[in-house]
Amino acid sequence: MIVAEQKSLDEIKSLIGDAERVLVVGCGTCVTVCFAGGAREAAIVAASLRMATKLDGNGKDVTDVTVQRQCEWEYLDEIAEQIEGADLVLSLGCGIGVQAIAEHFPRKWVVPGLNTSFMGLPTEQGVWAERCAACGDCVLGLTGGICPIARCSKSLLNGPCGGSEGGHCEINPDIPCAWQLIYDRLSALGKLDLLMAIQPPKNWKTSRDGGPRKIVRDDLRLGAEEE
Amino acid sequence: MAHIQDLLTAIGLEPDRAQMFNMSAAMASAFVTVAQEMTERIARLGPNPLRGPLDTLTDSERGE
Ligand code: SF4
Ligand code: SF4
Repeated sequence: MIVAEQKSLDEIKSLIGDAERVLVVGCGTCVTVCFAGGAREAAIVAASLRMATKLDGNGKDVTDVTVQRQCEWEYLDEIAEQIEGADLVLSLGCGIGVQAIAEHFPRKWVVPGLNTSFMGLPTEQGVWAERCAACGDCVLGLTGGICPIARCSKSLLNGPCGGSEGGHCEINPDIPCAWQLIYDRLSALGKLDLLMAIQPPKNWKTSRDGGPRKIVRDDLRLGAEEE
Repeated sequence: MAHIQDLLTAIGLEPDRAQMFNMSAAMASAFVTVAQEMTERIARLGPNPLRGPLDTLTDSERGE
C-alpha cells in the first residue's frame, strides 16, 4: 500500500489560507488502512478545522466526503458537485489523489493534507515499513523476495557493504541490514549459490532516473485497434 | 488518549478537557473521585470557548 502521514493542523491551516468553504476529501483505499486519510480521518480533520478556525475568530465552512479511490476519475465524478461548490479542496489522498483532483477539476484549487511517504506494509499495529521503490525492473527473484533497492540504505545490488553489523544497517541501526536478511533467507532456503553471481550495474532508466514513467497497454485501450 | 490531547492542543483547546480513566463497574468510590476531579478541573478551565459563556447557550446546548 501507499503509506502516508497527516500534515500538522497548523500547516493545513496555512495551506487553506483565506478560503471560506473547504471540502476535505478522504480516500477509501491505501490511506484508509494506514489511518491517515480515510473517512474517519477526513471527519476528524474537518471537525478540527471548524473548531480551530472558530477559535481563531473566523469560523470556516468545512465539510468532508470520502470516495472509494481518489486516484481514479470515475470516483471523483461522484463528488463533482461538492468539489465545484467549495473554494478549496483539501485532499487526504496520497499525492496521486491530490493530482487526480487537480487534473480532473482544472479550475479548482487543491492542497494536500498528507505527506505521502512510501510503499510498504504494516509490520505490527501502528508500524509501517518501506518495501518497494518502484524501480521498474524487479530483482526480488534474485534476492529471495527481499528488496535491496528499497530496504538497503545504499540500494546495493551486490551487498552487503562493509558497514553491516550484527544484522543492523550502518546508516541507521534501527533498521535491519537488507543484505543480512537476504543472506539469511537464501541460506535457509538452500539458495546461497544465487549470491555468487555478480549483478551488473542496474539500468536505472526504468526507475525515476529515466524521467516520469508511463505504461501503455494497447490490448486494453479503447479504440486502439481502429487507430 | 495522548493523540486526542495533542489534537485538542493543535485546535487551540486545553488538552486537560479530555481524560480517560479505566475502572471496573464495581469501583464506585474511584468513579466518584475522578468525577469530582474532572468536575473541578473543567470548572477551573471555564466554559468551552467554542460554545461561549453559559448564558449565551440554548437549553439543548446546556443539556436541558
Ligand atoms: S526490486 Fe524494484 S520493483 Fe522489486 S520490490 Fe524492489 S524496488 Fe520494487
Ligand atoms: S548495512 Fe546493509 S542495509 Fe545498510 S547500507 Fe550496508 S548493505 Fe545496505
